[in-house]
Amino acid sequence: MDEELLELQKQFEFAQQAKSSIRLSDRNVVELVQKLHDLQIIDFDLLHTVSGKEYITPEQLRLEICSEVKRLGRVSLIDLTDSIGVDLYHVERQAQVVVSDDPELMLIQGEIISKSYWDTMAEEINERLQECSQIAVAELAAQLQVGSELISSMLESRLGTLIKGRLEGGQLYTPAYVARVNAMVRGAARGITVPMNLSALWSSLQQLLQGMDGATGVAVDNSFFQTLFNGLLKEVEILGSLRAGVHWTPAVFASAQKEFVDSFLSQNSFISYDSLQKLGIPQPMQYLQSRYPEGIPLVTMFIHPSMIEMLDAAIEDAVERNSWIDSLTVLPSLCDSQDAYKILSLCPSVQSALKSNRALIVGESYVLSDGFIKDVFTRLDKEMQTTIPISSASKIDDEKHPIKESKGGNDSGRLSELNDVSTECGNRPAMERGSKKKKGKSSGNPRSSASESDLNKQEPIPSKSKRNQRKGKDSSVSHVSESKRSKEDSVGAPSEEWIINKVLALVPEFEEQDVDDRETILKPLANQLRPMLVTSWNERRRVMLAENSDRMKRVLDNLQKKLDESYMNMQLYEKALDLFEDDQATFVVLHRHLLRTTGASIADMLLFNLDVYNKLKNGIPVEESQNSESVSLSSGERTSIAKSLHGSLSVKAVALVESVEGKQMDIFMTALATLVEESHVTQAVTQANEAKQQWHEEALVATVTRLEGRIDRHRDDQNTPVAIDRGKRDGDDEATNQVNGGNRIRYPVREDDYRGFDQNGFNHGYHDGEGWGGRKRHRKLDLPVFDDKGPDTWLDLTSQVSMENDPVLLLPKVVSLLYLKIHNKALQAPGRAMSIAVSRLKDKLDDSAFKTLMDYHSATVALLSILSASTNDPTHFIHQEDDCASDRIATKKELLESLMPTLKGLVLGSTITQPQVAS
Amino acid sequence: MEQWDTTTKSTLTKIPLLTTKAGPRDGAAWTQRLKEEYKALIAYTSMNKANDNDWFRISAANPEGTRWVGKCWYVHNLLKFEFDLQFDIPVTYPATAPELELPELDGKTHKMYRGGKICLTVHFKPLWAKNCPRFGIAHALCLGLAPWLAAEIPILVDSGMIKHKDDVAASSSDSS
Repeated sequence: MDEELLELQKQFEFAQQAKSSIRLSDRNVVELVQKLHDLQIIDFDLLHTVSGKEYITPEQLRLEICSEVKRLGRVSLIDLTDSIGVDLYHVERQAQVVVSDDPELMLIQGEIISKSYWDTMAEEINERLQECSQIAVAELAAQLQVGSELISSMLESRLGTLIKGRLEGGQLYTPAYVARVNAMVRGAARGITVPMNLSALWSSLQQLLQGMDGATGVAVDNSFFQTLFNGLLKEVEILGSLRAGVHWTPAVFASAQKEFVDSFLSQNSFISYDSLQKLGIPQPMQYLQSRYPEGIPLVTMFIHPSMIEMLDAAIEDAVERNSWIDSLTVLPSLCDSQDAYKILSLCPSVQSALKSNRALIVGESYVLSDGFIKDVFTRLDKEMQTTIPISSASKIDDEKHPIKESKGGNDSGRLSELNDVSTECGNRPAMERGSKKKKGKSSGNPRSSASESDLNKQEPIPSKSKRNQRKGKDSSVSHVSESKRSKEDSVGAPSEEWIINKVLALVPEFEEQDVDDRETILKPLANQLRPMLVTSWNERRRVMLAENSDRMKRVLDNLQKKLDESYMNMQLYEKALDLFEDDQATFVVLHRHLLRTTGASIADMLLFNLDVYNKLKNGIPVEESQNSESVSLSSGERTSIAKSLHGSLSVKAVALVESVEGKQMDIFMTALATLVEESHVTQAVTQANEAKQQWHEEALVATVTRLEGRIDRHRDDQNTPVAIDRGKRDGDDEATNQVNGGNRIRYPVREDDYRGFDQNGFNHGYHDGEGWGGRKRHRKLDLPVFDDKGPDTWLDLTSQVSMENDPVLLLPKVVSLLYLKIHNKALQAPGRAMSIAVSRLKDKLDDSAFKTLMDYHSATVALLSILSASTNDPTHFIHQEDDCASDRIATKKELLESLMPTLKGLVLGSTITQPQVAS
Repeated sequence: MEQWDTTTKSTLTKIPLLTTKAGPRDGAAWTQRLKEEYKALIAYTSMNKANDNDWFRISAANPEGTRWVGKCWYVHNLLKFEFDLQFDIPVTYPATAPELELPELDGKTHKMYRGGKICLTVHFKPLWAKNCPRFGIAHALCLGLAPWLAAEIPILVDSGMIKHKDDVAASSSDSS
């Protein structure tokens, strides 16, 4: 055993005997602390760290927070939690306590910030500001990660001390910068001479600034400019007025405006709103009214009362002189017609003239004196008398009217109705139309025309015209009927266009107006004149028609008479044709001849008279002399007359003319009959008038009696035994009418019969004397009906034969007379048919007589053949110098002349004693 | 060494390692070895005391130092269970580890050979062999007995195989 080992043994023993140190576990410690707490040995709050290994007292925590803040200046609570290792909840609570204890500190958004921190920040900011001359607060806030409100409040408290600058609209500026911008604003504001929206100004300034600062330039807020501007305004560095905060009107502009208006108004005594608007006065009317209370606002301009005086004088003058005036010529050229109308309504002289009906406002600006209108009217009336034939106008107008009605019927209808109310009333609708027309062309002033309708409403309309307007509206309901009536009334009256043209011709001054103006003045004037003209025209028409009716009666009477005679002849001759029915060729020849001679003359006579009648009816003057007996027309003339007749009458007449050209007598007869029936159809006129009708009937009765008298006279004139027969017939008129088949002239006697005829359409229109709206009346133009030759034919022929000296012409007459004598039928035959006609007489005459006739006939034929051989014109054979031919002619003529007495004797010898009377 | 818990490991590394490779029959070399064994035991004991983890008392029972006796104890549920500890230094020491005996617990648990020799984990032997001759008695206690006590005593106490001496006294007094 060595020493060392023993020593080690002892050491080991000692080590094992040594008292071991006592260690407590964490758990034990926590329990112990809790125990202490429970036992109130520890009587204060104990906080533990996040790790749970440490206990900390609140005081210690506060201390640690303070030291941390002092160290950093600005600490977020979350950072504190980490660094101190205490729960955030306790840190927050203790931080609040710390901050509330220390005024230097503030707790913002989970951060404790000390005042010193702000101070240093402010210093930093100031340095930067001095460098950049401007910093946006937002930028700073983003940089410091605090709210811009906070930073601006912080900055505000340090402005002027730590920060040498100015805070404006979220922007920090150095005083130098502010001064510079201020100078810019002042310069701009002073430079402006016209009103301007300030924001526009600011934007231009901003652009300028950005240009100067280059890319680094920060956008300057408009409010900054605005505050600078307001400051300048307050300091009276710039002059002017600010409206609604943005509309800047420089004083220099306002004064210039005022001076312009003043000078213009005083020089011209008017000013148009347009020019004011050009000057930038937005509501010129109000502006002027407030400045010049004595002035008068119009639609497009503002006038001084002196203008009215001037116009008044001019109008008074015009009215006195019975002339007219266009107020536009007196008023400044800018004045439009609406203004003119308004001014006119303000003129005392116009008002008085209108009240006393001495003047008329037309087309809004024209003032026509009563005298002038009267003058024009009389001249027009005269003109109309000479130029417009009453009847033709009626015809033309009749056709034109529907077209005119569609466009102008409106006015004429209203006018004719309103005309009686007052002259002014009549004027108004036309005026409205005028203004509408104005709108249409807009006269290069769209604004005024746009506001026109408004102004029309605003305008104080004279009460009279207001009432009239209402009336106009009312009347528009019953417009159609009115216009229809007016159409009838004005049938044949001069048209508006015609009046306008005439007025232009009469008053050449109107020509000077340009076309549109002319329309506006002349249309209403024409409208004004037209009813008057129509009235006078109707008056004259009435007079004329009254005259014409007499003449028409006469014409008709004549026609009747002549027709009677001719028709009798015609029928007479027609009878004779029956004798030749067996000989077809001769029959045709005879037919044609009869048509060419008698038929043609009847047709001519009828057509001519119808034409005359027609003309008379329409008021066309017809010379009396033309109404003479013999009328012969060429076929062309016939057709033209036939066509000139109107309606169905024309058709029938043309048919008649054609039948004359034809070969059939029957056709001609029927055509004639229908024409006669159809003839004298008067214009259909609808307006019934009982009194007039009464008058008609009386007139008809009178006509009938006249007709009767004429027929009687006619009979008497015959100087023949027929009178006996007539006497008998007079007794039983009624019976005849009923029998209706007699050889008599049939004529109605009583009114009842006339009515019947009316309905049947047999008509002879009796145009009433009034000239308008005559009721349709008819009277039959009777065809005399004979079933045999008339004694007058006999007499005619005998007298003709006895008078006849021309040997050639004698033969047909003698033959005719012989036929009459033998067959009791008159024959009218052409030369060609003569031989057949003569040969037919062979059986009826004794031989000597027949021989004489044959000789005469052959001699005549020989003579005529010689004549036709020698010359083309057999009627001038006497003057032929051809020796042998003339000799032969002379001998033949002598022969014929020698035979003439015998021939005459043949017929005349026994005629007086042998008149055959038809039974 | 991952089989042992961290405290054991840290403790083990703090125990000074031995250098001399000698068994009880090697004379002076064994004395040298014994000195090293004492130094290691002193270090380990003082270390345990510093950590308030003192858990055994041993002393050499013969002058050669080949037999050691003493006590070891374990605190479970605030009760200190104390057992006798004895072991011999084998002849092949240090190649062979000493067999630690807890004669009181003989027959009370499976983790024990006949005569109260504790069964060590499978990891002990290779570790010991690997660290021969650097491990000594202190290492064997630290690596072998301490884990065995920590693992087995609570089981034994809960199963009622061993009873606290106070309880034994109480029960005996109750019974008497």
